[in-house]
Amino acid sequence: MLHALLISNGLQGLEKYYVSNAQVQYTTCLVTKDFSPDLLPYDLLVVPNGSDHVALLKIKDNVRAFLAAGRALVCCDGFFTAWVPGNQWVMDNARRSQDVRYSCGTDRHGLLAGLNLDELNFSHGMSGWWACGYIQAAPGAEVLLHDTWQRPIVVLDEVSTPGRLLLTASGPLADVSYAGQPDRAPVALYRNFIHLLSTSTVPAHG
Amino acid sequence: MAKIGLIFNGVWSHYALATAPKYRDLYRLLYIHDLDAEAVRGLDALAIPFQSNQAVLTEKQAVIYDFLAAGKKVFLEGDSSTAWLDAQWEDRPVNNYWWVADPTNPPVATTNFGHPVYQGLTPRQACWHTHGVYTRVPAAAEIIQANAAGEVITWQTHQHGGTLLATTLDPLVEHGVQQITHLDHYVDRLTEWLSGVCPAPARLTIDAAAYGAGARL
Repeated sequence: MLHALLISNGLQGLEKYYVSNAQVQYTTCLVTKDFSPDLLPYDLLVVPNGSDHVALLKIKDNVRAFLAAGRALVCCDGFFTAWVPGNQWVMDNARRSQDVRYSCGTDRHGLLAGLNLDELNFSHGMSGWWACGYIQAAPGAEVLLHDTWQRPIVVLDEVSTPGRLLLTASGPLADVSYAGQPDRAPVALYRNFIHLLSTSTVPAHG
Repeated sequence: MAKIGLIFNGVWSHYALATAPKYRDLYRLLYIHDLDAEAVRGLDALAIPFQSNQAVLTEKQAVIYDFLAAGKKVFLEGDSSTAWLDAQWEDRPVNNYWWVADPTNPPVATTNFGHPVYQGLTPRQACWHTHGVYTRVPAAAEIIQANAAGEVITWQTHQHGGTLLATTLDPLVEHGVQQITHLDHYVDRLTEWLSGVCPAPARLTIDAAAYGAGARL
């Protein structure tokens, strides 16, 4: 079982989207004025949508050390401060959301397996609902999804650090299933990453 | 010089709005964990966006009420907590596709277009979607917007000295997100009401230099 530290900004409803299960045990860490969590007891750091990127910038050296120890990071939020090693999210509104369509890039680990791309492309027939802006990806990182203009939207980075980073351009992911409902794309992508972490015997290459 | 303090808990949509060239001279980011009387000194208004940390707002409520007691304006959007606000907010499913599925039935049924923020707006510009409703507001509050069931969406009170305008709309967050492209109208009216300054009548743009190592904190 993986042990994950879930960063909480005190927003309504976060706990509904990350529920401990057979694969992951979540521990929630609330951001406070003196935010300085000990990351090393955990396998995975989860930075969900709506996080505090001022607080995360303050612990960027801790995050780098955590990843240097071969651990993993999921950040599915707009990381506007420079705390994610090797990669940077940038907001952009120069393109029309109605023109947004995602396309698959390389996917060595099968993280897109079973993922219905149209669930990210459309919500009630409207496109451009899932992600905003784009990621300036680290050279050599795997771009799993591009947008219409070939900008990185989902990135798996196994090169910037000895750890693994799964990053989205603010597109939310979740680890929750509703009884009787098939997993939607944001859950499928997240769960595939959890599966990779749980089953991989070879560390990410630094 | 900034006249509006945007209470900021490090969320990217707040940042995108406050650093946009159109608004960056009017809004000052006030990091919530550093919020105190000194931080709000000299400002004309405070804006408390959706996706704020309600527990920390509760700890810091004296800053907000002292600001109101000085006769100033506070704008509150999205959810809130009874721990610091004398009103009951309740969650409801967000319907952001009504204009596709049932355009004759928007989430807001009535609007007082005489309120300065709403003057000159079309109904479409005055409502995109709502995040919950108020099922109780202060006795002397004016109701500005309500849904078809009569539940309160937007209300205003002067009971604390200045003016508190609260809404379950989320203009500041959604304008930062930029997935809805007609919010310049609402946010410009709101900005002028809060600060007395009307932003330039152009669409919000993003300054990419404000992202990453150049972040303005």
